[in-house]
Amino acid sequence: MKQLLFFIYTFALVFILSSCEKKVNIQIAYEGDKLVMNTFMQPDSLIYVRVTRSVPVSVYDESAFKEETAAQVSIAASDGATLPTTLQTIAGRKYFVSALPAKAGLQYQITAASAGLETVAAKDTLPPAPQAREGYAQKNSTRIKFILNDRPGLGDYYRLRVFTVESGAPQKALLFRLDPAFNNNLIDIISNGNSTSLVMDDSRFDGRELTFVLQTEAPLTQTDSLMVEVTALTRNAWSYLRTVALQQGNAGVIVSEPVRVFSNVKNGYGIVAGINTKRLIFKVD
Amino acid sequence: MSLTGRLLTALFLLSMPLQVLGWDWQTKVTVVVQHQSLQTVCELLEKNYGIHFSYSRDLVNLSRKVTLTVHNKRLKTVLEELFAPDDIKFTRVGDLLVLLPNNRTTRTINGYVKDAATGERLPGATIWSPTLKQGTVTNQYGFFSFTTTKDTSSVVVSFVGYQPQWRQFPKGDRTIEISLESTTHLKEVVVTGAESNNLQNQTQMSKVNISSAAVNKTPRLLGDADLIRTLQAIPGVSGGMDGVSGLHVRGGSPDQNLILLDGSPIFNFSHFFGIFSLINPDVVKSTDLYKGAFPARFGGRLSSVVDITLKDGDMKNFHGDAAIGLISTKFDLEGPIIKDKTSFIVSARRSYPDLVYNSLLRLEDDEKNKAELSAYFYDINAKLNHIFSPKDRLYLSFYTGEDKMNLQLDSASLPDTARINMLSSGFDVSWGNTIGALRWNHIYGPKLFSNISLNYSSYAFSTKIGYRYIVPAANELIDQVGSYRSRMEIAGIRADFDYRPSPQHGLRFGTAVNMHDFKPSMSSFADKTGSVTPLDTIANGPQNTAAEMLLYVEDDWQLTPSLFVNAGLHASGFLVSGKLYHSLQPRLGLRYMLPQQWAFKVAYTQMNQYVHLLSNYGTSLPTDIWVPATDRVAPMSSRQIALGIAKTTNRQVYEFTLEGYYKNMHNMIELRDPIGFITPDLLRWEDQVSIGRGWSYGGEAMIARKKGKTTGWIGYTLSWSTRRFAGINGGKIFPYKYDHRHDIEVVFNQVLGKNWDFSASWRFTTGAPLTLPVASYEGIETGSPWDPVSGPGTGIDRYDSRYNYRAENSHRLDIGINWTKQKSKWSRTWNFSIINVYNHKNPFYYYVKRDDEAKQRYLSKVVILPVLPSVTYSVKF
Repeated sequence: MKQLLFFIYTFALVFILSSCEKKVNIQIAYEGDKLVMNTFMQPDSLIYVRVTRSVPVSVYDESAFKEETAAQVSIAASDGATLPTTLQTIAGRKYFVSALPAKAGLQYQITAASAGLETVAAKDTLPPAPQAREGYAQKNSTRIKFILNDRPGLGDYYRLRVFTVESGAPQKALLFRLDPAFNNNLIDIISNGNSTSLVMDDSRFDGRELTFVLQTEAPLTQTDSLMVEVTALTRNAWSYLRTVALQQGNAGVIVSEPVRVFSNVKNGYGIVAGINTKRLIFKVD
Repeated sequence: MSLTGRLLTALFLLSMPLQVLGWDWQTKVTVVVQHQSLQTVCELLEKNYGIHFSYSRDLVNLSRKVTLTVHNKRLKTVLEELFAPDDIKFTRVGDLLVLLPNNRTTRTINGYVKDAATGERLPGATIWSPTLKQGTVTNQYGFFSFTTTKDTSSVVVSFVGYQPQWRQFPKGDRTIEISLESTTHLKEVVVTGAESNNLQNQTQMSKVNISSAAVNKTPRLLGDADLIRTLQAIPGVSGGMDGVSGLHVRGGSPDQNLILLDGSPIFNFSHFFGIFSLINPDVVKSTDLYKGAFPARFGGRLSSVVDITLKDGDMKNFHGDAAIGLISTKFDLEGPIIKDKTSFIVSARRSYPDLVYNSLLRLEDDEKNKAELSAYFYDINAKLNHIFSPKDRLYLSFYTGEDKMNLQLDSASLPDTARINMLSSGFDVSWGNTIGALRWNHIYGPKLFSNISLNYSSYAFSTKIGYRYIVPAANELIDQVGSYRSRMEIAGIRADFDYRPSPQHGLRFGTAVNMHDFKPSMSSFADKTGSVTPLDTIANGPQNTAAEMLLYVEDDWQLTPSLFVNAGLHASGFLVSGKLYHSLQPRLGLRYMLPQQWAFKVAYTQMNQYVHLLSNYGTSLPTDIWVPATDRVAPMSSRQIALGIAKTTNRQVYEFTLEGYYKNMHNMIELRDPIGFITPDLLRWEDQVSIGRGWSYGGEAMIARKKGKTTGWIGYTLSWSTRRFAGINGGKIFPYKYDHRHDIEVVFNQVLGKNWDFSASWRFTTGAPLTLPVASYEGIETGSPWDPVSGPGTGIDRYDSRYNYRAENSHRLDIGINWTKQKSKWSRTWNFSIINVYNHKNPFYYYVKRDDEAKQRYLSKVVILPVLPSVTYSVKF
């Protein structure tokens, strides 16, 4: 009898589990080449603008994003100043780099033009520095703490990242999550998922001083120093980073429509947005 | 004259009128006669109580013999009982009781139509006078009231699957019960465009009745017959994803369906993530689907009403069914508690994939942790009904059903000091409905029937997770437990009245008050080993209580011999958080009789919906959350106009309907971004949705064969359904996710012999809208190339307009065959079904796949329903 049952169930389950996947011969139409302009502007830092060209969806190799080295890039500040740019190669990649650093409190408009493509333009402001302090972690533990003071009633946005530090320089991004025990974050305990960055708004802690407790995926056994990077984001930067995470997280999810990644670039793709990073480097006790 | 003499004289004079007027209507009389004429009874009353009768022998016939035994009974009551059958009316003139023939030209017969064998009341049965070409239909409780000419002596009473019966009407106004004999084993499968009587005799349009026989005959998925899957084969109804029990009616979303189980609303009508319907089809008596032309008694949803009536239970004998299939097993039992007075029906069903997993396929994860899986659904139905008197009947019904999944992982490995080590984790998730109803049917008189009901319905989702792990290097033991719950409840009282004042009018009116309680997204978290109070607090969802009130009236009215109207008004109010929404929803249906017994019908309806469902783009999930309208998000509303023609052929063999419709919908909501399966932060849900409009229009044709060894139907739908939301798709109109241009459904049933019958269904659907990217481009992660971990940004897909493609067409053939062996007291049946006989790979969903092996990106489709055979064995006694 058990053999019969086994046969019946195996038979049924084979069919159930034989839900298959098949390549579909639908050619996904390409909207045509567009300029892609990307930069996160930081106060007191030069502005690094990447200008590339879009590709059809079917292109597998991401190195196929062709750099538009002949593009004309201009940066205009809201105080009337124009920041000249030069093309530089940094770590093997081409950037249009401003001659002067961005200033807090100003809005910057960046345009890029390249032969045969529509000129693109985008603008954004720079956010104030986040009020983060007192980074702390214990050796062999998984918990990292720091204090954040949020401005009341202003709708602030943040990104958190954690790095190991060696010889005073950040080395490796750590996988972490908000510790469920300290943040009451049910989703984190359910998903048990870690990532190298967390993007959030201040809707749950607006105007409060709170201690963030992060939980790393692995105990902090090897490192002597850590860096918690707290980045204040403009709404544009937050919208972009959030929708990128959503698009990647929802790839292939059946119940969702694909997520459109936010872009503020007119006539093209990409993001021009302001950020302001504070780095807390501290010894692991 | 002495004083004594004067007193006696005065007493005599005073007593004269008392003697003459010595009776009134309240006079208690005693009469005992056996097989005597009415005239004799009158003479006895005259003799014993001084009641003098006056009548003309030419006009009033008192020759009927009666047997009467009454003691101290009110005179008027006795006279009513004596004279009503002969239609003799009586009145008092002075001290005379004058008898007159009743000059009424009509009389009213009322009562119930029931199954002769089980006593089960039959809703939708027809009472028809062929000579007058007049008739009526029993309501959902099997009650009818037929006011007809005085000389109408016989009618035909019929119902699908039962032997039609000529019935002699008794004289006068009477309450009767009509019993119909079931035809042998219901070999014919019937779907009708209205009730079992001719379509052209019904003003109601856009309505389909599905019998339980039709559901049980359709091919089965994994051995389970399914009500919603049968409804999906009706023109105008789309099922959504392949293999899923979705219900998208005339371009509406699943939350716009009002699904009623014995009058109580159901919030989530599926098991197993939408694969199976909530209810065991064996306990369903009948199902009415309204796609439009909604009668005024229904309200609260925009797009459809699915009115499911459960069996009441056999009043005479015990019966039962038991069936075992690949995925579930079930049984039901019914019978009398007190014969012809009280009956019960109880049924239960449980699926058992978890038993298979645990007994045959032991689960282990990548790290060889032992896993115990429990995953199943169950549902239980129970119903009691009791007849207190011919005029009073009480029903008590209960349903509970749940999907449950539990996964327990226990670590078998030694702790690794270099990492976090899980000791154990448990995950528990469940969701389900609980429904209860108490209903009282009462007949006030020949023309007035009422149903008073108390209803309760709730839907709850719950998940709980426990996680124990250690960090050996830090000597930390962590034991955390979190839970998330969401609940929606509705409780109310409702009164419905059915009043048939004349053959030209059939009035229904009623009222209801419902209390809604919304408790979405309630979370809790505990760290058993920690001593730190969490700094942040969980943002629970907005909890609300709302009151809904409604009044309705509708009249089925014959204006001329050829023109009929069903006019109604549904008024409702919804009070939530101090805000009162109200609406007046007119409902109008017209029917005009054309030559050759064709009927032209047109209907206009307005509907309001005070609750919204937060779901991801029309895909129903157990985690979806119901929320009430708020001051920022108003209730949904719709207007629909439908017109069409209908006809049933003379011998009721064929039915034909052709309908067109146009519907617009307002204040619909759509999430701007997808929400996760569990969304704890719903306090600002109004900020996460766009408010917009929708439009649906199209046509439906259906031809059905109702009688004979071959039955079934062919349906065709041509439809468009679109949406527009501010901030979505650039504010431009886009198609609804399940906007299928063409749908064809063919359902075929064939009786092959004494023991065999065969069924098949084939459906074809043109491709659903699909959103595909139009380009890819480089992303960015950091502000400076000198930042740590700087590198090329992730590739991003650019999506332009929503639904810029169409998926492939889908089609599928399902077949089933039943072999039934009838024994003297029981029968057994084997059902063999094959879903997707020719293994067509219909898409379940699409996505752009990144194939790292082939170094390609391409569009990939996932297919979940290949050819899928199943077998079910059932016994019936």
